[in-house]
Amino acid sequence: MIGWLGQRTIDGYLYLTDLSAHVYVTLREMVSPGRQGRWAALRVTLRQMLFTGVDALPVISAIALMLGLIVITQAGTQLPKVGGEGLIGSIIVVVIIRELGPLLTAFIVIGRSGTAITTELGNMRVAQEITALELIGIRVSRYIVMPRVVAVVLSMVCLMFYFDAVAVLGGFIIARIKLTIPFHVFAQAVAQSLSLVDVLVTAAKGMLFGTAVAVICCHHGLSVRSSYTEVPQQTTTAMINSVTICLLLDILVTVTAYF
Amino acid sequence: MKFAIELTNAQVGMDGEEWHVDFTLAVKPGECVLLVGPGRSGKGLLLKLCAGLVAPEQGTVRVLDHDLVALDEEGLSALRRRMGVVLQQPGLRSNMTLYTNVCLPLVYHQGIDEEELRPRVVPVLEALGLTSLQKRFPAQLTTGEARCAALARALVMNQELLLLDEVMAGLDAEMVMRVDRVLAEYRRAHAVTILATLHNPSPMLEHADRIAFVRQGRIEAAGSYAEMLTTSDAALRVYLGGGPGSSRLAS
Repeated sequence: MIGWLGQRTIDGYLYLTDLSAHVYVTLREMVSPGRQGRWAALRVTLRQMLFTGVDALPVISAIALMLGLIVITQAGTQLPKVGGEGLIGSIIVVVIIRELGPLLTAFIVIGRSGTAITTELGNMRVAQEITALELIGIRVSRYIVMPRVVAVVLSMVCLMFYFDAVAVLGGFIIARIKLTIPFHVFAQAVAQSLSLVDVLVTAAKGMLFGTAVAVICCHHGLSVRSSYTEVPQQTTTAMINSVTICLLLDILVTVTAYF
Repeated sequence: MKFAIELTNAQVGMDGEEWHVDFTLAVKPGECVLLVGPGRSGKGLLLKLCAGLVAPEQGTVRVLDHDLVALDEEGLSALRRRMGVVLQQPGLRSNMTLYTNVCLPLVYHQGIDEEELRPRVVPVLEALGLTSLQKRFPAQLTTGEARCAALARALVMNQELLLLDEVMAGLDAEMVMRVDRVLAEYRRAHAVTILATLHNPSPMLEHADRIAFVRQGRIEAAGSYAEMLTTSDAALRVYLGGGPGSSRLAS
Protein backbone atom coordinates (compact mmCIF):
# COMPACT_ATOMS: atom_id res chain seq x y z
CA MET A 1 0.00 0.00 0.00
CA ILE A 2 2.77 2.40 0.98
CA GLY A 3 4.73 1.35 -2.07
CA TRP A 4 1.73 1.96 -4.32
CA LEU A 5 1.16 5.37 -2.72
CA GLY A 6 4.82 6.26 -3.13
CA GLN A 7 4.79 5.22 -6.77
CA ARG A 8 1.65 7.27 -7.45
CA THR A 9 3.26 10.29 -5.79
CA ILE A 10 6.39 9.94 -7.88
CA ASP A 11 4.30 9.48 -11.05
CA GLY A 12 2.25 12.57 -10.19
CA TYR A 13 5.39 14.58 -9.51
CA LEU A 14 6.96 13.50 -12.81
CA TYR A 15 3.74 14.28 -14.67
CA LEU A 16 3.59 17.78 -13.23
CA THR A 17 7.28 18.23 -14.05
CA ASP A 18 6.59 17.29 -17.68
CA LEU A 19 3.69 19.73 -17.85
CA SER A 20 5.80 22.49 -16.29
CA ALA A 21 8.52 21.79 -18.85
CA HIS A 22 5.96 22.26 -21.65
CA VAL A 23 4.84 25.58 -20.10
CA TYR A 24 8.47 26.71 -19.79
CA VAL A 25 9.31 25.74 -23.38
CA THR A 26 6.17 27.50 -24.63
CA LEU A 27 7.07 30.70 -22.79
CA ARG A 28 10.64 30.45 -24.08
CA GLU A 29 9.40 30.02 -27.64
CA MET A 30 7.17 33.07 -27.28
CA VAL A 31 10.01 35.34 -26.24
CA SER A 32 12.91 33.67 -28.03
CA PRO A 33 14.59 35.80 -30.67
CA GLY A 34 14.57 34.98 -34.36
CA ARG A 35 11.83 35.36 -36.91
CA GLN A 36 12.15 31.80 -38.14
CA GLY A 37 8.79 30.09 -38.22
CA ARG A 38 6.99 33.05 -36.65
CA TRP A 39 4.56 33.50 -39.55
CA ALA A 40 3.90 29.79 -39.83
CA ALA A 41 3.29 29.61 -36.07
CA LEU A 42 1.00 32.65 -36.28
CA ARG A 43 -1.07 30.94 -38.97
CA VAL A 44 -1.40 27.83 -36.79
CA THR A 45 -2.40 30.04 -33.84
CA LEU A 46 -5.11 31.82 -35.84
CA ARG A 47 -6.47 28.55 -37.19
CA GLN A 48 -6.60 27.09 -33.67
CA MET A 49 -8.33 30.25 -32.37
CA LEU A 50 -10.90 29.95 -35.12
CA PHE A 51 -11.62 26.36 -34.09
CA THR A 52 -11.40 26.80 -30.31
CA GLY A 53 -12.88 30.28 -30.02
CA VAL A 54 -15.09 31.26 -32.95
CA ASP A 55 -16.47 27.83 -33.80
CA ALA A 56 -17.36 27.27 -30.14
CA LEU A 57 -19.63 30.32 -29.97
CA PRO A 58 -22.89 28.51 -30.86
CA VAL A 59 -22.46 25.79 -28.23
CA ILE A 60 -21.20 28.29 -25.63
CA SER A 61 -24.20 30.54 -26.36
CA ALA A 62 -26.68 27.68 -26.00
CA ILE A 63 -25.22 26.40 -22.73
CA ALA A 64 -24.79 29.90 -21.30
CA LEU A 65 -28.41 30.72 -22.11
CA MET A 66 -29.64 27.55 -20.47
CA LEU A 67 -27.53 28.08 -17.35
CA GLY A 68 -28.55 31.74 -17.15
CA LEU A 69 -32.18 30.80 -17.50
CA ILE A 70 -31.97 28.20 -14.74
CA VAL A 71 -30.03 30.32 -12.24
CA ILE A 72 -31.94 33.54 -12.88
CA THR A 73 -35.31 31.80 -12.78
CA GLN A 74 -34.47 30.07 -9.51
CA ALA A 75 -32.99 33.19 -7.94
CA GLY A 76 -35.77 35.43 -9.22
CA THR A 77 -38.57 33.16 -8.02
CA GLN A 78 -37.14 31.77 -4.77
CA LEU A 79 -35.40 34.81 -3.27
CA PRO A 80 -38.53 36.99 -3.03
CA LYS A 81 -40.20 34.27 -0.97
CA VAL A 82 -37.63 34.74 1.78
CA GLY A 83 -37.35 38.48 1.33
CA GLY A 84 -34.01 38.25 -0.43
CA GLU A 85 -34.79 40.21 -3.62
CA GLY A 86 -31.74 42.34 -2.97
CA LEU A 87 -29.46 39.34 -3.17
CA ILE A 88 -30.25 38.45 -6.80
CA GLY A 89 -27.26 40.40 -8.11
CA SER A 90 -24.88 38.72 -5.66
CA ILE A 91 -26.25 35.27 -6.44
CA ILE A 92 -25.76 35.79 -10.18
CA VAL A 93 -22.25 37.14 -9.76
CA VAL A 94 -21.21 34.35 -7.40
CA VAL A 95 -22.83 31.45 -9.20
CA ILE A 96 -22.48 32.41 -12.86
CA ILE A 97 -19.61 34.89 -13.18
CA ARG A 98 -17.28 33.61 -10.48
CA GLU A 99 -17.80 29.88 -10.64
CA LEU A 100 -20.03 28.14 -13.16
CA GLY A 101 -19.19 30.39 -16.11
CA PRO A 102 -15.42 29.74 -16.05
CA LEU A 103 -15.81 26.07 -15.18
CA LEU A 104 -18.42 25.26 -17.82
CA THR A 105 -16.46 27.19 -20.43
CA ALA A 106 -13.37 25.18 -19.54
CA PHE A 107 -15.32 21.92 -19.77
CA ILE A 108 -16.68 22.86 -23.21
CA VAL A 109 -13.19 23.79 -24.43
CA ILE A 110 -11.83 20.52 -23.06
CA GLY A 111 -14.59 18.53 -24.76
CA ARG A 112 -14.31 20.28 -28.11
CA SER A 113 -10.74 21.45 -28.52
CA GLY A 114 -8.71 19.58 -25.90
CA THR A 115 -9.75 16.20 -27.20
CA ALA A 116 -9.26 17.37 -30.79
CA ILE A 117 -5.71 18.54 -29.99
CA THR A 118 -4.77 15.23 -28.34
CA THR A 119 -6.27 13.21 -31.18
CA GLU A 120 -4.61 15.33 -33.87
CA LEU A 121 -1.17 15.22 -32.27
CA GLY A 122 -1.51 11.51 -31.48
CA ASN A 123 -2.37 10.71 -35.07
CA MET A 124 0.46 12.94 -36.27
CA ARG A 125 2.85 11.05 -34.03
CA VAL A 126 1.78 7.63 -35.33
CA ALA A 127 1.90 8.80 -38.97
CA GLN A 128 5.45 10.07 -38.34
CA GLU A 129 4.38 13.62 -39.18
CA ILE A 130 6.00 14.91 -35.99
CA THR A 131 9.26 13.13 -36.82
CA ALA A 132 9.12 14.50 -40.38
CA LEU A 133 8.69 18.04 -39.03
CA GLU A 134 11.65 17.59 -36.71
CA LEU A 135 13.69 16.28 -39.64
CA ILE A 136 13.09 19.41 -41.67
CA GLY A 137 14.35 21.45 -38.74
CA ILE A 138 10.96 22.55 -37.47
CA ARG A 139 10.84 22.69 -33.69
CA VAL A 140 7.66 21.00 -32.48
CA SER A 141 7.57 23.30 -29.47
CA ARG A 142 7.41 26.36 -31.74
CA TYR A 143 5.23 25.08 -34.57
CA ILE A 144 2.90 22.69 -32.74
CA VAL A 145 2.75 23.35 -29.00
CA MET A 146 3.22 27.11 -28.59
CA PRO A 147 0.55 28.16 -31.13
CA ARG A 148 -1.99 25.82 -29.57
CA VAL A 149 -1.29 27.03 -26.03
CA VAL A 150 -1.51 30.69 -27.05
CA ALA A 151 -4.71 30.11 -29.06
CA VAL A 152 -6.43 28.10 -26.33
CA VAL A 153 -5.50 30.65 -23.63
CA LEU A 154 -6.78 33.63 -25.65
CA SER A 155 -9.90 31.76 -26.72
CA MET A 156 -10.60 30.56 -23.17
CA VAL A 157 -10.39 34.08 -21.70
CA CYS A 158 -12.64 35.54 -24.41
CA LEU A 159 -15.11 32.66 -24.20
CA MET A 160 -15.40 33.01 -20.42
CA PHE A 161 -16.38 36.68 -20.65
CA TYR A 162 -18.71 35.86 -23.52
CA PHE A 163 -20.28 33.00 -21.53
CA ASP A 164 -20.84 35.29 -18.52
CA ALA A 165 -22.39 38.02 -20.65
CA VAL A 166 -24.72 35.66 -22.51
CA ALA A 167 -25.69 33.79 -19.34
CA VAL A 168 -26.56 36.96 -17.43
CA LEU A 169 -28.20 39.01 -20.18
CA GLY A 170 -29.64 36.24 -22.31
CA GLY A 171 -30.79 34.33 -19.27
CA PHE A 172 -32.57 37.40 -17.96
CA ILE A 173 -34.28 38.07 -21.28
CA ILE A 174 -35.62 34.52 -21.42
CA ALA A 175 -36.53 34.47 -17.75
CA ARG A 176 -38.23 37.86 -18.13
CA ILE A 177 -41.38 36.02 -19.07
CA LYS A 178 -41.64 34.69 -15.52
CA LEU A 179 -39.90 37.43 -13.55
CA THR A 180 -41.42 40.66 -12.32
CA ILE A 181 -38.11 42.48 -11.84
CA PRO A 182 -37.56 45.23 -14.42
CA PHE A 183 -34.33 45.03 -16.43
CA HIS A 184 -32.77 48.21 -15.03
CA VAL A 185 -33.22 46.96 -11.46
CA PHE A 186 -31.73 43.62 -12.42
CA ALA A 187 -28.80 45.25 -14.24
CA GLN A 188 -28.15 47.59 -11.33
CA ALA A 189 -28.15 44.69 -8.86
CA VAL A 190 -25.63 42.77 -10.97
CA ALA A 191 -23.44 45.84 -11.53
CA GLN A 192 -23.37 46.62 -7.82
CA SER A 193 -22.35 43.07 -6.93
CA LEU A 194 -19.71 42.85 -9.65
CA SER A 195 -16.28 44.12 -8.66
CA LEU A 196 -13.01 44.55 -10.50
CA VAL A 197 -11.69 41.54 -8.59
CA ASP A 198 -14.39 39.37 -10.22
CA VAL A 199 -13.29 40.49 -13.67
CA LEU A 200 -9.62 39.94 -12.89
CA VAL A 201 -10.31 36.54 -11.34
CA THR A 202 -12.27 35.48 -14.44
CA ALA A 203 -9.37 36.55 -16.64
CA ALA A 204 -6.89 34.74 -14.39
CA LYS A 205 -9.01 31.58 -14.49
CA GLY A 206 -9.20 31.84 -18.25
CA MET A 207 -5.42 32.03 -18.54
CA LEU A 208 -4.76 29.26 -16.04
CA PHE A 209 -7.41 26.90 -17.39
CA GLY A 210 -6.38 27.61 -20.96
CA THR A 211 -2.72 26.93 -20.24
CA ALA A 212 -3.53 23.76 -18.30
CA VAL A 213 -5.91 22.36 -20.93
CA ALA A 214 -3.63 23.11 -23.88
CA VAL A 215 -0.48 21.82 -22.22
CA ILE A 216 -2.11 18.64 -20.88
CA CYS A 217 -3.72 17.85 -24.24
CA CYS A 218 -0.52 18.54 -26.21
CA HIS A 219 1.48 16.46 -23.74
CA HIS A 220 -0.82 13.45 -24.07
CA GLY A 221 -1.01 13.79 -27.85
CA LEU A 222 2.76 13.82 -28.12
CA SER A 223 3.00 10.91 -25.68
CA VAL A 224 1.47 8.55 -28.26
CA ARG A 225 4.24 6.30 -29.52
CA SER A 226 3.50 3.81 -32.22
CA SER A 227 -0.11 2.65 -32.36
CA TYR A 228 -3.42 4.27 -33.28
CA THR A 229 -5.05 2.44 -30.35
CA GLU A 230 -3.04 4.65 -27.99
CA VAL A 231 -4.78 7.75 -29.35
CA PRO A 232 -8.21 7.28 -27.71
CA GLN A 233 -6.53 6.12 -24.48
CA GLN A 234 -4.41 9.26 -24.33
CA THR A 235 -7.41 11.40 -25.27
CA THR A 236 -9.47 10.02 -22.40
CA THR A 237 -6.61 10.53 -19.95
CA ALA A 238 -6.05 14.06 -21.23
CA MET A 239 -9.72 14.89 -20.77
CA ILE A 240 -9.94 13.51 -17.24
CA ASN A 241 -6.70 15.17 -16.17
CA SER A 242 -7.74 18.47 -17.73
CA VAL A 243 -11.05 18.47 -15.84
CA THR A 244 -9.34 17.50 -12.57
CA ILE A 245 -6.60 20.11 -12.86
CA CYS A 246 -9.08 22.83 -13.86
CA LEU A 247 -11.13 22.05 -10.75
CA LEU A 248 -8.02 22.13 -8.57
CA LEU A 249 -6.94 25.43 -10.13
CA ASP A 250 -10.45 26.80 -9.60
CA ILE A 251 -10.29 25.93 -5.92
CA LEU A 252 -6.84 27.51 -5.66
CA VAL A 253 -7.89 30.76 -7.35
CA THR A 254 -11.20 31.00 -5.49
CA VAL A 255 -9.59 30.40 -2.10
CA THR A 256 -6.77 32.84 -2.89
CA ALA A 257 -9.06 35.59 -4.18
CA TYR A 258 -12.10 35.33 -1.94
CA PHE A 259 -11.26 33.46 1.24
CA MET B 1 35.34 19.44 -43.59
CA LYS B 2 37.03 16.10 -44.18
CA PHE B 3 33.92 13.95 -43.91
CA ALA B 4 30.26 14.85 -44.28
CA ILE B 5 29.35 11.81 -42.19
CA GLU B 6 31.64 9.97 -39.83
CA LEU B 7 30.47 7.11 -37.65
CA THR B 8 33.01 5.50 -35.37
CA ASN B 9 31.86 2.29 -33.70
CA ALA B 10 28.38 3.76 -33.34
CA GLN B 11 26.55 1.07 -31.41
CA VAL B 12 22.89 0.81 -30.60
CA GLY B 13 20.46 -1.99 -29.76
CA MET B 14 18.13 -3.22 -32.49
CA ASP B 15 14.47 -3.75 -31.52
CA GLY B 16 13.56 -7.41 -31.42
CA GLU B 17 17.07 -8.62 -32.28
CA GLU B 18 19.73 -10.09 -30.02
CA TRP B 19 22.57 -8.37 -31.84
CA HIS B 20 23.64 -4.73 -31.62
CA VAL B 21 24.43 -2.63 -34.64
CA ASP B 22 28.00 -1.40 -34.74
CA PHE B 23 28.77 0.95 -37.58
CA THR B 24 31.99 2.56 -38.69
CA LEU B 25 31.59 4.58 -41.85
CA ALA B 26 33.01 7.77 -43.32
CA VAL B 27 31.38 9.60 -46.21
CA LYS B 28 33.25 12.42 -47.95
CA PRO B 29 31.48 15.64 -48.97
CA GLY B 30 29.81 15.19 -52.34
CA GLU B 31 30.03 11.42 -52.18
CA CYS B 32 27.06 9.12 -52.87
CA VAL B 33 27.04 6.00 -50.70
CA LEU B 34 24.34 3.37 -50.95
CA LEU B 35 23.59 0.90 -48.18
CA VAL B 36 22.23 -2.38 -49.46
CA GLY B 37 21.24 -5.48 -47.58
CA PRO B 38 18.32 -7.47 -46.26
CA GLY B 39 15.43 -5.98 -44.29
CA ARG B 40 16.08 -5.50 -40.54
CA SER B 41 19.81 -5.46 -41.06
CA GLY B 42 20.20 -1.99 -39.52
CA LYS B 43 20.37 0.19 -42.66
CA GLY B 44 17.48 2.39 -41.58
CA LEU B 45 18.92 2.62 -38.08
CA LEU B 46 22.20 3.87 -39.54
CA LEU B 47 20.30 6.67 -41.29
CA LYS B 48 18.41 7.47 -38.09
CA LEU B 49 21.73 7.71 -36.25
CA CYS B 50 22.93 10.19 -38.87
CA ALA B 51 19.68 12.18 -38.66
CA GLY B 52 19.92 12.41 -34.88
CA LEU B 53 16.72 10.45 -34.34
CA VAL B 54 18.56 7.71 -32.45
CA ALA B 55 21.47 8.37 -30.11
CA PRO B 56 24.34 5.87 -30.12
CA GLU B 57 24.85 3.94 -26.90
CA GLN B 58 28.56 3.92 -27.63
CA GLY B 59 30.82 5.47 -30.23
CA THR B 60 30.47 8.76 -32.05
CA VAL B 61 28.38 10.14 -34.89
CA ARG B 62 29.62 13.29 -36.61
CA VAL B 63 27.52 14.90 -39.32
CA LEU B 64 28.58 18.03 -41.23
CA ASP B 65 31.29 18.65 -38.64
CA HIS B 66 28.98 18.35 -35.64
CA ASP B 67 29.02 15.69 -32.95
CA LEU B 68 25.32 14.79 -32.77
CA VAL B 69 25.49 13.59 -29.18
CA ALA B 70 26.79 16.96 -28.03
CA LEU B 71 24.13 19.01 -29.83
CA ASP B 72 21.16 20.49 -27.97
CA GLU B 73 17.68 20.66 -29.50
CA GLU B 74 18.31 24.02 -31.12
CA GLY B 75 21.65 22.92 -32.55
CA LEU B 76 20.11 19.76 -33.93
CA SER B 77 17.30 21.74 -35.58
CA ALA B 78 19.87 24.07 -37.15
CA LEU B 79 21.86 21.10 -38.43
CA ARG B 80 18.76 19.42 -39.83
CA ARG B 81 18.05 22.52 -41.89
CA ARG B 82 21.20 21.62 -43.81
CA MET B 83 20.10 18.06 -44.54
CA GLY B 84 17.14 16.50 -46.29
CA VAL B 85 15.83 13.29 -44.82
CA VAL B 86 13.25 10.96 -46.34
CA LEU B 87 12.18 8.08 -44.13
CA GLN B 88 10.21 5.02 -45.19
CA GLN B 89 7.04 6.66 -43.86
CA PRO B 90 6.85 9.94 -45.78
CA GLY B 91 5.28 11.84 -42.83
CA LEU B 92 3.45 14.37 -45.02
CA ARG B 93 1.12 16.70 -43.10
CA SER B 94 -2.28 15.12 -43.63
CA ASN B 95 -4.17 18.43 -43.58
CA MET B 96 -2.00 20.02 -46.27
CA THR B 97 -1.98 19.45 -50.02
CA LEU B 98 1.06 17.96 -51.69
CA TYR B 99 2.11 21.44 -52.87
CA THR B 100 1.78 22.98 -49.40
CA ASN B 101 3.69 20.08 -47.91
CA VAL B 102 6.57 20.64 -50.30
CA CYS B 103 6.51 24.38 -49.61
CA LEU B 104 6.48 23.94 -45.82
CA PRO B 105 10.26 24.09 -45.15
CA LEU B 106 10.64 27.15 -47.38
CA VAL B 107 7.70 28.92 -45.79
CA TYR B 108 8.78 28.03 -42.28
CA HIS B 109 12.50 28.64 -42.49
CA GLN B 110 12.72 31.40 -45.07
CA GLY B 111 9.29 33.03 -44.85
CA ILE B 112 9.08 32.97 -48.65
CA ASP B 113 5.84 34.28 -50.16
CA GLU B 114 3.81 32.63 -52.91
CA GLU B 115 5.48 34.60 -55.74
CA GLU B 116 8.91 33.32 -54.82
CA LEU B 117 7.70 29.85 -53.88
CA ARG B 118 6.42 28.78 -57.29
CA PRO B 119 9.70 29.16 -59.22
CA ARG B 120 11.48 27.10 -56.58
CA VAL B 121 8.90 24.39 -56.03
CA VAL B 122 7.31 23.85 -59.45
CA PRO B 123 10.53 22.70 -61.20
CA VAL B 124 11.09 20.07 -58.49
CA LEU B 125 7.49 18.86 -58.79
CA GLU B 126 7.78 18.74 -62.58
CA ALA B 127 11.03 16.81 -62.44
CA LEU B 128 9.45 14.24 -60.14
CA GLY B 129 6.22 14.06 -62.17
CA LEU B 130 4.08 15.42 -59.35
CA THR B 131 2.66 18.52 -61.04
CA SER B 132 -0.78 17.02 -61.67
CA LEU B 133 -1.00 15.82 -58.06
CA GLN B 134 -0.09 19.04 -56.32
CA LYS B 135 -3.61 19.82 -55.11
CA ARG B 136 -4.15 16.36 -53.66
CA PHE B 137 -3.96 15.56 -49.96
CA PRO B 138 -1.62 12.81 -48.72
CA ALA B 139 -4.52 10.38 -48.23
CA GLN B 140 -5.25 10.65 -51.97
CA LEU B 141 -1.71 9.68 -52.98
CA THR B 142 -0.23 6.25 -53.55
CA THR B 143 2.70 5.15 -51.40
CA GLY B 144 5.13 5.89 -54.21
CA GLU B 145 3.65 9.33 -54.89
CA ALA B 146 3.77 10.21 -51.20
CA ARG B 147 7.40 9.11 -51.05
CA CYS B 148 8.21 11.25 -54.11
CA ALA B 149 6.46 14.20 -52.43
CA ALA B 150 8.60 13.68 -49.33
CA LEU B 151 11.66 13.63 -51.59
CA ALA B 152 10.51 16.87 -53.24
CA ARG B 153 10.14 18.44 -49.80
CA ALA B 154 13.70 17.40 -49.00
CA LEU B 155 15.07 18.77 -52.28
CA VAL B 156 13.53 22.26 -52.33
CA MET B 157 15.80 23.54 -49.57
CA ASN B 158 19.04 22.81 -51.48
CA GLN B 159 20.64 20.97 -48.58
CA GLU B 160 24.21 19.77 -48.26
CA LEU B 161 23.30 16.22 -47.28
CA LEU B 162 20.52 13.84 -48.28
CA LEU B 163 19.60 10.81 -46.15
CA LEU B 164 17.18 8.63 -48.08
CA ASP B 165 15.63 5.53 -46.58
CA GLU B 166 14.25 3.19 -49.26
CA VAL B 167 13.26 6.12 -51.41
CA MET B 168 12.72 3.82 -54.40
CA ALA B 169 10.39 1.42 -52.57
CA GLY B 170 6.81 1.40 -53.82
CA LEU B 171 7.66 3.27 -57.02
CA ASP B 172 6.78 1.96 -60.46
CA ALA B 173 9.59 1.45 -62.98
CA GLU B 174 9.01 4.83 -64.63
CA MET B 175 9.10 6.65 -61.30
CA VAL B 176 12.27 4.80 -60.32
CA MET B 177 14.00 6.06 -63.46
CA ARG B 178 12.69 9.58 -62.88
CA VAL B 179 13.82 9.71 -59.24
CA ASP B 180 17.21 8.33 -60.24
CA ARG B 181 17.56 11.03 -62.91
CA VAL B 182 16.46 13.79 -60.52
CA LEU B 183 18.92 12.68 -57.84
CA ALA B 184 21.77 12.45 -60.34
CA GLU B 185 21.04 15.97 -61.67
CA TYR B 186 20.59 17.35 -58.18
CA ARG B 187 23.90 15.88 -57.15
CA ARG B 188 25.66 17.41 -60.15
CA ALA B 189 24.10 20.82 -59.51
CA HIS B 190 24.56 21.04 -55.75
CA ALA B 191 27.47 18.70 -55.01
CA VAL B 192 25.28 17.17 -52.33
CA THR B 193 26.36 14.21 -50.22
CA ILE B 194 23.94 11.29 -50.43
CA LEU B 195 23.59 8.38 -48.07
CA ALA B 196 20.73 6.12 -49.13
CA THR B 197 19.42 2.66 -48.36
CA LEU B 198 18.09 0.20 -50.91
CA HIS B 199 16.78 -3.30 -50.53
CA ASN B 200 16.04 -3.84 -54.20
CA PRO B 201 18.33 -3.47 -57.19
CA SER B 202 18.05 0.04 -58.57
CA PRO B 203 19.65 2.18 -61.27
CA MET B 204 20.97 4.32 -58.41
CA LEU B 205 23.57 1.62 -57.83
CA GLU B 206 25.47 2.56 -60.97
CA HIS B 207 25.68 6.25 -60.03
CA ALA B 208 26.91 5.60 -56.50
CA ASP B 209 30.53 6.22 -55.59
CA ARG B 210 30.43 3.43 -53.06
CA ILE B 211 28.12 0.65 -52.06
CA ALA B 212 28.13 -0.81 -48.56
CA PHE B 213 26.59 -4.19 -47.83
CA VAL B 214 24.96 -4.26 -44.40
CA ARG B 215 24.07 -7.49 -42.61
CA GLN B 216 23.11 -7.96 -38.95
CA GLY B 217 24.18 -4.47 -37.96
CA ARG B 218 27.62 -4.53 -39.55
CA ILE B 219 29.00 -3.21 -42.81
CA GLU B 220 30.36 -6.43 -44.25
CA ALA B 221 31.69 -5.17 -47.56
CA ALA B 222 32.12 -1.83 -49.27
CA GLY B 223 33.39 -0.68 -52.63
CA SER B 224 32.37 0.65 -56.02
CA TYR B 225 29.59 -1.00 -57.96
CA ALA B 226 32.07 -2.68 -60.30
CA GLU B 227 34.13 -3.97 -57.36
CA MET B 228 31.10 -5.25 -55.56
CA LEU B 229 29.87 -7.12 -58.62
CA THR B 230 32.98 -9.28 -58.47
CA THR B 231 31.96 -10.62 -55.07
CA SER B 232 31.41 -14.29 -54.58
CA ASP B 233 28.79 -13.62 -51.88
CA ALA B 234 25.53 -14.77 -53.49
CA ALA B 235 23.43 -12.81 -50.99
CA LEU B 236 25.19 -9.57 -51.89
CA ARG B 237 24.84 -10.23 -55.61
CA VAL B 238 21.06 -10.46 -55.16
CA TYR B 239 20.97 -6.91 -53.80
CA LEU B 240 23.20 -5.65 -56.58
CA GLY B 241 20.90 -7.06 -59.21
CA GLY B 242 23.44 -9.58 -60.39
CA GLY B 243 22.30 -12.57 -58.41
CA PRO B 244 20.49 -15.62 -59.69
CA GLY B 245 16.82 -14.93 -60.31
CA SER B 246 17.09 -11.21 -59.72
CA SER B 247 15.86 -8.68 -62.24
CA ARG B 248 18.14 -5.78 -62.92
CA LEU B 249 16.20 -2.58 -63.22
CA ALA B 250 19.31 -0.87 -64.41
CA SER B 251 19.27 -2.87 -67.57
